[in-house]
Amino acid sequence: MTDKRFYQVLVPAVVLFSFLPFGLGSYHLHVVIVSLFYLMMASSWNLLAGYTGQVSFAHAAFAGIGAYASGILAVRFGLNPWIGVVVGTLMAALLGLAVGVLCLRMGGIYLSLTTLGFSEILRIIITNEYEVTRGTMGLQVPGLFAEYSKVGYFYVMLGAAVLTLIIIYRLIHSNIGLNFRAVQNDERAAASLGVDVVRVRVLAFTVSSALAGMAGGLYGHYLLLITPEIPSLDQQFLVLSMTVIGGMGSFPGPIIGAFSLEILSEYIRAYGEYHVLVFGLIALVAARFAPNGLMGLATGRLMRRRAPEKTVAAAAKS
Amino acid sequence: MERNSSRVRRLDATTGHIESPRDRKGNVMFALAVMNGLVIGVIYALAALGVSLVVGIMNVVNFAHGELYILAGYFSYLFAGALGVNFVAAMIVAVLLVFLFGLFVEWVLIRPTYGNDMYSLILTFILSIVLQNAYLLIFGPYPNKPPGWVGGATNVFGLFYYGNQRLAALAAASVVIALLFVVIKKTWFGRIIRATSQDREMAELNGVNTTRLNMLSFGLGCALAAAAGVILAPVFPVTPTAGLPVALTAFVVVVLGGMGSLWGCVLGGLILGLVENLGAAFISTGYKHLFNFIILILVLLIRPAGLFGRREA
Repeated sequence: MTDKRFYQVLVPAVVLFSFLPFGLGSYHLHVVIVSLFYLMMASSWNLLAGYTGQVSFAHAAFAGIGAYASGILAVRFGLNPWIGVVVGTLMAALLGLAVGVLCLRMGGIYLSLTTLGFSEILRIIITNEYEVTRGTMGLQVPGLFAEYSKVGYFYVMLGAAVLTLIIIYRLIHSNIGLNFRAVQNDERAAASLGVDVVRVRVLAFTVSSALAGMAGGLYGHYLLLITPEIPSLDQQFLVLSMTVIGGMGSFPGPIIGAFSLEILSEYIRAYGEYHVLVFGLIALVAARFAPNGLMGLATGRLMRRRAPEKTVAAAAKS
Repeated sequence: MERNSSRVRRLDATTGHIESPRDRKGNVMFALAVMNGLVIGVIYALAALGVSLVVGIMNVVNFAHGELYILAGYFSYLFAGALGVNFVAAMIVAVLLVFLFGLFVEWVLIRPTYGNDMYSLILTFILSIVLQNAYLLIFGPYPNKPPGWVGGATNVFGLFYYGNQRLAALAAASVVIALLFVVIKKTWFGRIIRATSQDREMAELNGVNTTRLNMLSFGLGCALAAAAGVILAPVFPVTPTAGLPVALTAFVVVVLGGMGSLWGCVLGGLILGLVENLGAAFISTGYKHLFNFIILILVLLIRPAGLFGRREA
């Protein structure tokens, strides 16, 4: 996809989306807002997993850091939530940088182990420090606007999602993005060509964590109640399955995955407790049999349809 | 510990108690924490050995390790508790079933991902969530406990009474670890395992069927998690999410000991068990698992290859 085509798709899509509040009721708008949150989460996780080949299990935890940092600052010190979201994003970036520097020297497996530990520790800290975080009761936080407006939140989330997508797109289509994929494909070959493998990985992890922090901060101020559910491993699992089912390593994959799974989950929410189990089984089957997700299936089908045409054309020519 | 001792002294000043009984109490508390640390440390070592074995041979980290530990606990609860089978038979059957489950998982999920470490991480993580939710549906969120093997308590060094069940768990886990070491260091199968984890290609050239070895060692890793599960379940009841802390500790033990090192696991397990229990006794119980994470960070900062790790990453 060239730059021009990217904006040719993005701009009409955004215009189309910005008409949604006129056609949708309050509940459906809520579903779209939540989907936009997951879109940001899944796309930024994909930046890390799909483009540099490292699996972080702390993506939801970084969203939680963004949410709790901004929420606690607003509740305790009366900080403006907009500034709070920026502070939360920076916090997530700093912690991401620290965790990245700490374990990425040793290779990808260490990142997965450390981030899993990190999210569990965050859960323990949040539930133990209930005077500050209100533990599992949840922290009530002020909204972004003086007067609650779902439509307002929709446009804020849409803006943030577009910003996230543009950042990710520009990053993966820059020289840095080339380095990302070089590192993913063959670490040693990349290193031999002068790519600083560790720095590339740390950069991807930091940017991805910061984007998660921003998404989490905004989401927290939308829900008005921040609970340990946001940084939980269940949430992490949802983001991961959206990316895997949509198509890891492709730009539209996580977007498709986020919308389809969030809408699907609204339908099967009626079955309550089965809901995570069903998602898990779908994700397991997808990761095993269609590792490139829905995007992989779609492009695979297209390629197969196109391939015979080409041979026919070649035959006709000769 | 320092904070605690100063608190004790302050209490003494206010209540006017004489020093010696409190010192004795502190000693007993210390000894009790060490004892608890040993018991749980050996179990951690056992769980970590399973992880380390699989990492050494296949370069795969099984994120569902803790859930397999729980699965074995549930099996032994079902057989020994609900069906009333003899507890030794129940434990053996539970470990065997988890071993077979491990073979199945390797065959269906892990084998197609060789050469792509990332997918095995993702698949086992999804598997862990699936298993957790399946347990939640089948057994509910309540703690379940198979019946104990022995009752009563023993006086340890005249200091305190210690539950016989825990002492039996310590003994059983030590025996399993010793057996594993004999298998790995002394038998033909163990030699194949050591050869493959040292140099996979060389082992293949010498006629090792590495595909079958992968399957067996993944199953064996799961069986070790299961052994830890059946041994500890009568002491710490199983719940659907209780596997995660155990698995995380096992991962930290593996990093601390050095990826793929077996002695590292034993030493690392004991260190973590002791630190965790001393920390819980003298600093804070709520942050029990935080100590593991601090150790993990320290290892990564100071000696990322671990205690017995090979230098290359």
